[in-house]
Amino acid sequence: MFGEKALELIKELQRCLDGSLPPFNEEGVRQVLEEMKALFEQNQGDVSATVAGETGLFAGVQLRHAALERNKRCLLAYLYNRIQQIKKMRWEFGSVLPQDIRYNLSEQEVQWFNRYNKCLANYMRSIGEDGGLDLTQDIKPPKTLYIEVRCTTDHGEFETQDGNVLVLKKNSQHFLLRSECEHLIRQGILEHIVH
Amino acid sequence: MADLTEELEDESSEEGESMTAAEVLQKLEEAWLNEKFSPDLLEIKNDIVDCMLEQIKEMEENIRRAKKGDFRVGIHKMEIDRIRYFISSYLRTRLQKIEKYTAHVLEQEKARGSDETPQMSPDEYTFAKEYSENMENHFKVLALRHMPPNLQALDPKHTVMRPNLDSYVFLRVNEDTAGVLVEEETAEAGEEVIDLEKGDQLIIRYRPVATLVESGAVGLI
Amino acid sequence: MTTSCSNYMSIDDIISTNERIPCKFQVQVQRLGFLDSSSDTDHIQPNTKLELPFWLATALCNRRRHIVAVDMPKQYKEGYREILTADANVVDLHKLGPYYYTFGSHLLCFELPETPDIAKSLLQTFQSRLRKIMDASQNAYYEDTTNLTAKLDEMERDLFKCGQQGLRDFQRWETRASEQLKTSEMVINHRKRKRAVMEETS
Repeated sequence: MFGEKALELIKELQRCLDGSLPPFNEEGVRQVLEEMKALFEQNQGDVSATVAGETGLFAGVQLRHAALERNKRCLLAYLYNRIQQIKKMRWEFGSVLPQDIRYNLSEQEVQWFNRYNKCLANYMRSIGEDGGLDLTQDIKPPKTLYIEVRCTTDHGEFETQDGNVLVLKKNSQHFLLRSECEHLIRQGILEHIVH
Repeated sequence: MADLTEELEDESSEEGESMTAAEVLQKLEEAWLNEKFSPDLLEIKNDIVDCMLEQIKEMEENIRRAKKGDFRVGIHKMEIDRIRYFISSYLRTRLQKIEKYTAHVLEQEKARGSDETPQMSPDEYTFAKEYSENMENHFKVLALRHMPPNLQALDPKHTVMRPNLDSYVFLRVNEDTAGVLVEEETAEAGEEVIDLEKGDQLIIRYRPVATLVESGAVGLI
Repeated sequence: MTTSCSNYMSIDDIISTNERIPCKFQVQVQRLGFLDSSSDTDHIQPNTKLELPFWLATALCNRRRHIVAVDMPKQYKEGYREILTADANVVDLHKLGPYYYTFGSHLLCFELPETPDIAKSLLQTFQSRLRKIMDASQNAYYEDTTNLTAKLDEMERDLFKCGQQGLRDFQRWETRASEQLKTSEMVINHRKRKRAVMEETS
């Protein structure tokens, strides 16, 4: 049946809804476009034949056209849903993606990501009168000013707002301003300890 | 905490009727809840956001001037964190809606009369436009331009995503409002009209109360 | 079953519209005989019976076109509707589905004589199963839930998940765990995968 390759692309995404992103399936996309090209050419042939006087070709043209629309929808949905994942990564990993994830993006997706980064940064910088506001912070309502954290890896030196420098060593525990270490927790470098 | 915020009363209010910082914060909280729970993008409350950001700046200034060890410093910092959370969460919620319904919000902005207030701030509008261009370009480069000529356009009838205004919301009534048309007359049943009394809480379809949310007569919870 | 306008890009909607429907061709379709694997003619002949995916069936059978006539899949026909009326709670909807409700609502567009009965059956089935699903989702906290969800269709599974999430959030709030700042889920999953890869290669 027509549209099966396109459906394969969609099913590939369905299997990976846990937040992972499979490599961009360039070959799959190419095959769908190929099927579309063939369908279109056959339709063109039937249309010219009809103009030349042949009859009874209408039903076939309709059927192929439906297949063309279906392929288009699947292809766009494939691109769209990948972008949704990539966008989510901007908010969870930050503006630089881990190398192995980046590797699964197509060239064009990397460009999309960079443009998104830029227009998000421009927007966030524009908030308020001066300096803007980082919307990727303050994800949860604050309960206390300081929180206790444990380091999960050796991260190196960290300068606090009041100018103190501390070394974030694996398994060391610290008492920090919530607002200045939230992003390190989200990136998995620190762990919030709640008693 | 009331006395703390009152001493930081906002004097720069240009509205004539000067609001206390506590009142503005209250307004911000309402706007945040409404935005969080309404399916549609609401009118941006830009003056509230700007006013509260200004407030944060002043409070930070005060903290810098305060004596070391002043116990109020901690409380002020906590208050700053809380306000910043409201603003961030409010703007973030809006941004998510703008990203999801980009074409729809841009369409509405285009259709807006010159005397109507815009839904988005100018910067949100810029973001929406750039976001939409980026997305369209992506579709074009990877797929559309490789398709047969009669399939290269996006059909807005199918691809424009619109918020579902018939989804249900929880609300609390702030002002008595009589004669709200909840259900149009149909073949099977007559129209349904209800009176809202201040303090009432109910679950209702969003569409009939959308204008009441914007006007503040009801608040979403 | 809310009408949503965001279906074009929806993965679930695309997969559910691939479910097949029995169709009978009303006219000859030239040069597409290969779609019918049981015959080797060049053209599809009138009266040929084929199971077509929903997306194709709607394009060939609607108010403007009658290239095929559709019949309802058996799991929506009277026999099955009677079973569902008798006791909807014991039926394995996933086996009949897996998108039993979504696909069922799609089928309503064909406006066949039995369409109103199918609509009624879908609604009643959902109503009579809902209570059990909500109960189960609110009372199974640490249990393995696969046996509870095995017989649910995809939409019911989503509902069950919502219920479970609500319960979990409430308990986290009660134990003050909700204020804990957490590592982003994507970051956690990414690490897990990386660790798995490293273990494989070492």
